[in-house]
Amino acid sequence: MTARSGPPILLLRRTFLAGLGGALTGLALGSRVGVAGPALPPAVDEAVKAEAAAEGAGLRPNLFVHVTPNGGVTIACARAEMGQGVRSSLPVLIADELGADMRRVEVVQAPGDPAYGDQNTDGSHSVRGFYDALRKLGACARMMLIAAAAVRWRVPASTCEAHDHAVHHPATGRSLGFGELAIAAAKLPVPQDILLRPRVELLHVGKELPLLDGPDIVTGRAIFGADVRLPGMLTAVIARPPVVGGRATQHDASKTLAVPGVRHVVPLPAPQPPFAFQPLGGVAVVADDTWSALRGRARLEVTWAPGANGDYDSSEYCEVLLAAVSAPGHVVREVGDVVRALGSASKRVEATYHVPHLAHAAMEPPVAVVRFDGQKCEVWAATQNPQAARKEVARALDIAPDQVTVNVTLLGGAFGRKSKPDYVVEAALLAKATGSPVRVQWTREDDIQHDYYHTVSTQRLEAGLDEVGKVVAWRHRTAFPPIGSTFTDTTLSVPGELQQGVLDVPLAIANVRAENCEARAHTRIGWLRSVANIYHAFAVQSFIAEIAHARGSDPRETLLEIIGPPRLVGLEELGVQSLPNYDQPLAEHPIDTGRHRRVIERVTDMARWSDREQRNRALGLAVHRSFLTYVASVVSVIRDPEGRLVVDEVWTSLDAGTLVNRERVRSQFEGAVIFALGHALYGEITMKGGATVQSNFRDYRLMRIGEAPRAIHLDIVDSDGPSGGAGEPGVPPVAPALANAIFALTGQRVRELPIARSLKV
Amino acid sequence: MKIHLHVNGKAHALELDPDMPLLWALRDHVGLTGTKYGCGQALCGACVVHLDGEAVRSCVTPVSRADGRAVVTIEGLSPDGSHPLQKAWVELAVPQCGFCQAGQIMTAAALLKKNPQPSEVDIDTSMAGNLCRCGTYLRIRAAIERAVAEKGKGG
Amino acid sequence: MRRAVEICAGAALVIGACRKAPTPEQQQAALPPVEPDELRPLEVFAAIADPTHRSQALFLEAARVLLHPRCVNCHPAGDTPLQGDEGQPHDPPVVRGPDNEGVPGLQCGGCHQDENLELARVPGAPKWHLAPIEMAWVGRTPAAVCEQLKDPKRNGGKTLVQIVEHAAHDELVAWGWSPGHERVAVPGTQAQFGALMAAWVELGAACPREEGP
Repeated sequence: MTARSGPPILLLRRTFLAGLGGALTGLALGSRVGVAGPALPPAVDEAVKAEAAAEGAGLRPNLFVHVTPNGGVTIACARAEMGQGVRSSLPVLIADELGADMRRVEVVQAPGDPAYGDQNTDGSHSVRGFYDALRKLGACARMMLIAAAAVRWRVPASTCEAHDHAVHHPATGRSLGFGELAIAAAKLPVPQDILLRPRVELLHVGKELPLLDGPDIVTGRAIFGADVRLPGMLTAVIARPPVVGGRATQHDASKTLAVPGVRHVVPLPAPQPPFAFQPLGGVAVVADDTWSALRGRARLEVTWAPGANGDYDSSEYCEVLLAAVSAPGHVVREVGDVVRALGSASKRVEATYHVPHLAHAAMEPPVAVVRFDGQKCEVWAATQNPQAARKEVARALDIAPDQVTVNVTLLGGAFGRKSKPDYVVEAALLAKATGSPVRVQWTREDDIQHDYYHTVSTQRLEAGLDEVGKVVAWRHRTAFPPIGSTFTDTTLSVPGELQQGVLDVPLAIANVRAENCEARAHTRIGWLRSVANIYHAFAVQSFIAEIAHARGSDPRETLLEIIGPPRLVGLEELGVQSLPNYDQPLAEHPIDTGRHRRVIERVTDMARWSDREQRNRALGLAVHRSFLTYVASVVSVIRDPEGRLVVDEVWTSLDAGTLVNRERVRSQFEGAVIFALGHALYGEITMKGGATVQSNFRDYRLMRIGEAPRAIHLDIVDSDGPSGGAGEPGVPPVAPALANAIFALTGQRVRELPIARSLKV
Repeated sequence: MKIHLHVNGKAHALELDPDMPLLWALRDHVGLTGTKYGCGQALCGACVVHLDGEAVRSCVTPVSRADGRAVVTIEGLSPDGSHPLQKAWVELAVPQCGFCQAGQIMTAAALLKKNPQPSEVDIDTSMAGNLCRCGTYLRIRAAIERAVAEKGKGG
Repeated sequence: MRRAVEICAGAALVIGACRKAPTPEQQQAALPPVEPDELRPLEVFAAIADPTHRSQALFLEAARVLLHPRCVNCHPAGDTPLQGDEGQPHDPPVVRGPDNEGVPGLQCGGCHQDENLELARVPGAPKWHLAPIEMAWVGRTPAAVCEQLKDPKRNGGKTLVQIVEHAAHDELVAWGWSPGHERVAVPGTQAQFGALMAAWVELGAACPREEGP
């Protein structure tokens, strides 16, 4: 397959937003509330088909598949590529269903348009959200090509088959290439019922597939956000308020404007809370090239008023969160009578866990290019959510969204940061203000200092054990400024967020309660790869190991015991009234403890858990279900000659249901290990006077190659079940497995991340 | 100031601030965007290019230093992606987002030029300055080792 | 680590008034106080009558330069340079390499230029590199550094005159006084440092006594 970015397409706009759950996202983009639209694209789009047919362009039954008269097949990828491999995966579903030869398929990146269905590439739902829809899109084209051949050969369509880029009639040995049939197929009526192939005929789905953009990446030809160049384009860097909600009260641009190449200095409006996707404001320096803009900004003199968050001190805030979980909160989950059970327990185990703010820190800082002629607007952006970008840009420019074309480049990493189109709006405002195309380039400092941070959290867990050590009571209190705070004035979380490791954890315990305690946000809270699962899994899986230690039992046995026997865990057992379940019905994606147990058993076998002591290995174990995928990890730690703790080996067993591209699934789970280890060991964003202390990689430390484990072993459970996510679920079990391994090695229990705060790493 | 850059075998005469980092000269003026900006402080390695055969971090190398000297960027490492490292990188599907990989490959290429048979420690030591947020480090190691093995075969 | 000052503060001024030779601390204590960012001028050392003691005191003053973080960070006892004022490991993690210039792909000159960069915060001076391991100063006392400096096997084969020349005029040494971007400079000036070193040599290049337990 080859790759290029596609042409813009304008179609009737319909709005839709998926994400963390309806309640949350209804708040996210106010004016979208109440506007319904399709989540998935239709298999046939008559307008598109007719247009292609009229132009002799071949068969184009919908926006996703185009078979040209010369036999080339173009397939659109409408989900953003940020390294998770969506461009190397989803088009294969269409191609296999169609029967195309992969070598003659070109993948085109779709612009932001609701006609493509949901394009918010977030929440690990590309495969499960589109598996059936994409197959139908490909199947439709196949059926029309077969129908055209059947007409030509005067045979029943049922005696024809499509594979290897052609339609074949085995009985007579005739074949016609897709290209030869395209024009005729385009004139045929649309099939009423779309017939999918038997799964076994999808030749590539589920296998290890080639990396579509690999050749372009290794030769420097791949186009990321900052690589887009337009004639007359200016580059802007922005001095933003150090404190969220702050603003520039005055600025002196005299030295800035004296820098050769600087063209404009443009103050940007301060956002009004709730901040949502509004740009942070500040003062923009717009110049002929990046260096001039950087030099110009360095000479800008700005006086900042800090605003309401100017007193925020993240270390003081730890005390606030601790106080919050030391008192009852809002009950969000309840079974039995936990207060009585704790009170009558023979033994109590208690622990408090703290995870700091984290920054996304993708290798590509946020960047967007906008060209605006006063009426029509074109955007090129590394964005996870081109439809949100389109909407926000339209609002900022006061034009209709169908006047905005959002082209999606490759993203140099995202992890959730680039779902928020604030930086795209900045480029739009500056394009309007200057009358030139503008690229807004965030520096690394901007990225670290002005992120939508992963929230800060404190959790208190208490367990009551009976006289034989069985856990009979479990109370989980969690306090964290919720994501909702970015969109509305709230201090409490919602089920879409609490389902991530609080509401949905299977516990074979008679008395359970979970409470959400209020916590106010003092910065912009966003979502970062696996989101609330990060801190909830850290606490829950560490706590289970602490229970094991308290009663002298093996952590693996304790974990299996607390999860309980294989079963489907329903709402009643959980003790909740409802569960968003990542927007999937529980009947289709149940909480299946058999699957928890299986990955625990497989990973501990792989890591040789049972004889770890004889082999003198300090291992830690954790399991977590998130985004409908079950993952268990074992981490091994050692000390290096300088006495530093080092992770030397990691094992992960994952059950993600049906996979499309096994190779990219592996890469995601390998990468998730490194990502999660880096956070657990060093990751920390702190704030003083409302401003972020860290600014670049020297003080926001990421894992480097020398610190990476020497081996990561993956085990994938083969499954035909419904697909779970692959991008995020590998993250949550790693930090607690690491903490458990450290306990095994040192006897020291780390309850506060990053580990570097308390141990030499 | 007039700066003469020889990039991937082609000469460019450009009027530039002599303090401009080579990175921005390459991206904004020569028009080669394969070399990336990741940090601007020589901490991440996304900007590595070769200057007279040595790996340098272009985000901190002033163009004055490159004046009249030979620069090779990722686009010029081979005419067609045939460098053993590039081939190994594709075969092992090393990249995820891909943003750091030009810098990774250029650093690895500098290593292999000086040390065609690096040990595991040599690899980790030379690559220590290249960050990958997606976590492709284990495949980077494997790809370098594969390229070493291929070169050894004369391939 | 300072010992309690014994005997009299005026010991340095009154020869023979003390039974023992003054310790380095006593000698330093007898000198007039100085700001942390300044070096004592040569004149104040004239108050130390004994030439050996004066030579030692001059070296101790020069050692405020030699053992300052800006200098010792690149005179590490191991294979990685240090950064900052607390001796943190250099980030990105770099190593000495066979020629004290780093390893392929991560050479000192790959990032460090001939002069400091402000926006990028990277320090720079001509020929940026690590001092060879035999010139390691981290964790050493002034007495130990003194012996190293005088030993041709450990000072790059230099004579004392060359040492003084190096101190007074070398460009990489000069960097310590203009380290750039919020880095605390070495006290005084290179000229003053050179003068201290010259005076030390002139008086016999005496090394301070090693500090006792």
